Amino acid sequence: MNAMEKVAWTNLGVSAFAVVVVLAVTPWLGAGATGFFALLALIPLSALFLRQRGPRVIVDERDRDIDRKARDIAVGASWMLLLVGLVAATVWGSQTESHAVSTVLLNWLIWAQFATCFGVRGLAAIVLYRRPYAA
Amino acid sequence: MPRKKEPSLENCVSELRAARSGMTQQQLADLVGVTRQTIVALEGGAYTPSLALALRIAKVFRKPTEQVFWLDEE
Repeated sequence: MNAMEKVAWTNLGVSAFAVVVVLAVTPWLGAGATGFFALLALIPLSALFLRQRGPRVIVDERDRDIDRKARDIAVGASWMLLLVGLVAATVWGSQTESHAVSTVLLNWLIWAQFATCFGVRGLAAIVLYRRPYAA
Repeated sequence: MPRKKEPSLENCVSELRAARSGMTQQQLADLVGVTRQTIVALEGGAYTPSLALALRIAKVFRKPTEQVFWLDEE
């Protein structure tokens, strides 16, 4: 497994862990549970895998291509999640008496979008590393 | 309408490596500036290299590029 694959696994693992923790503590903390999305801040630590050790190449053209493709997929997926989520929240809010969208829901939606973006980026990269790929 | 299948790029990098007194994948990777995993993927047909990388590999083996890489159009 090369350095960028480790970064991809970190992206996926940390994102999934953050979502699981938030869902697990929501019954006790309620809206405050979204604070645990701050676990996503651990993702930049994956840069440690990219430290230059010796003269060997750490990231090459294949890694960069796969990362670019995975990033495109992740941004597209999270953007769609945000749009669909906002539409759903608006429709749901319009059905309530106050005709208002809950700020708690919006907060959840925005954090879920970030988690989706990092998680899908990791997952897409892992899948691309295992499939035939052309530069 | 069915899409025409793209021809795959074949190569004989592993044979050329073996012929060079057992050059390792890591040695070739270091010479052409990529990771060993990219050489593994390339030799296994799982990765089609960029033109620049194909040229660098051919240069290492002192062969014309078309003798190292060719299209399998069947």
